[in-house]
Amino acid sequence: MATLEFHDPSGAIEVKRPFAPRVPSLAGKRLGFVSNDQWQAYRMLPRLKSLLEADYSGIEVLPLDAFPQGNAVIGSEETAAQVKQSGVDAVIIGNAA
Amino acid sequence: MTNAVAGLGLAPDAAMVTFPIEMFLPGSDISPVETRKREFYDGLTRWRSAFGADGVAEAPMIRVENASMEGAFSRANDLMLANRWGDGLPLWPPTRERVSWILRGATRPRGHRVGIFPPRGGVTTVETCAIALAMAGGRPEYLPVLVAAVDAFLDPASGSAQLQAASGSAFPVVIVNGPIGAQIRLNSGFGCLGPDPQRPAGASIGRALRLLQQNVGGALPGIGTMANYGGVRYTTVVFAEDEANLPPGWATHATERHAIAPDQNSISLAFANGATNIRRRGAKKETPEEDALQGMYRMADFMRVPNMPGLSGYEHGTPGILMLPGVVANTMARLGWTKASIREFLWEHSRVPAEHLRRAGCPAWLEIDSSKVVRESIALDPWPITASPDNFIVVVAGGGHPTNSYWLQGYSPGVVGRTLELPPAFDELLGEAERDLGPR
Repeated sequence: MATLEFHDPSGAIEVKRPFAPRVPSLAGKRLGFVSNDQWQAYRMLPRLKSLLEADYSGIEVLPLDAFPQGNAVIGSEETAAQVKQSGVDAVIIGNAA
Repeated sequence: MTNAVAGLGLAPDAAMVTFPIEMFLPGSDISPVETRKREFYDGLTRWRSAFGADGVAEAPMIRVENASMEGAFSRANDLMLANRWGDGLPLWPPTRERVSWILRGATRPRGHRVGIFPPRGGVTTVETCAIALAMAGGRPEYLPVLVAAVDAFLDPASGSAQLQAASGSAFPVVIVNGPIGAQIRLNSGFGCLGPDPQRPAGASIGRALRLLQQNVGGALPGIGTMANYGGVRYTTVVFAEDEANLPPGWATHATERHAIAPDQNSISLAFANGATNIRRRGAKKETPEEDALQGMYRMADFMRVPNMPGLSGYEHGTPGILMLPGVVANTMARLGWTKASIREFLWEHSRVPAEHLRRAGCPAWLEIDSSKVVRESIALDPWPITASPDNFIVVVAGGGHPTNSYWLQGYSPGVVGRTLELPPAFDELLGEAERDLGPR
């Protein structure tokens, strides 16, 4: 019997930090959008905002322009700091394609 | 692999709602946002990562058995394809023996960390590079070039974090300077961007780099990379500058771009997404001066297009890499041309009339660019395809024939250089290559 043993070439994976904890429910929560303003985000995210507001009582969904928009700025530390400072419970980021 | 930010230390999965591309096009039907709204809600409330935040998960060894060695080899290749680790061409299974042999070309311990490969976030070590080089059919004396290229690739200045996943089909271009090019049989002459059994190093180094991009970085077509076409990705581009035929007074690419001493072994990494032959030579009774000038116009005219591949490297990167054969470079040098004057000419004569930009909708792309220099360039008419002539890369490479030059269209936020370290046994490795492959 011929045997070949070889390395898995995909390398190790290192997880250094967890994702943000999920919220138990969206009712009564404060949500924000971070938009790159591309790929129909200007249509899709407002639709999602309306759906959230219709489906959850007491929810507050910030307007799309509450935070800086566009690929050039949404990945910056400044934008992240603004999101944190705003006190939102959760954020939806879009759109990628 | 679904998460574009795994390389930042987050788990490779993420709470995402994905739709077919049609929904992201102008005028699309966006009603699926409503029909699938529950997925958004669950992503914010119930979703959990399948990966624990518990440090490093090591990749295992794989074992295959068969009645014959040929059968085992075949089974190993099938398995590598099934696991999405291959490129469709036969691979050398990276056994312990093979990888240890490749590691004779290492200058650092096998566990030395080179970086984290985006977007998947795979930990990349010297051993990971050796595994890829073994799979790609490489040899130990190639490893210093590969490790330096990977180190440059993973430098944030290269832009690889974005280009790995982007739709623009970027491929890395590795230009090697210094004596190592000829020593390890890298091609710098005829057919230097293609297969060459006499000078095979570039193919396996480039293939190994691509395998790392895919296997460690997660750049699988349609999953981790949205490259529409993915051309030149089997071996990417790895070649040496033809330093033996550099005209007197012309500096090497490494010296010009990275201030690296002429005899120092080095690599320079940029990204391109196009590769085009340009017929440079005249056909009739041109004087040498006319022949050179007409060729320069033909090259600049080809670059004068409003498709803006150079936007990502407008300020600090490159609009592309122009390859001139040594015989052309020497003729032009005798007429007074230098690499600098060639760059100046290309910059001036590849400028695009503003009207051409407007009719092609380019100003919108300029307006949304993250670079202030790009945004402000809207005011320029004609519009230069890059911020400075110095951004053009001009290298002497290609066969000793005057007819053609070659243009690797840049898609490169940066151009990153690295000097090479050589292992103590390098001369011994070159001797073994002579024994195995015949004289250079």
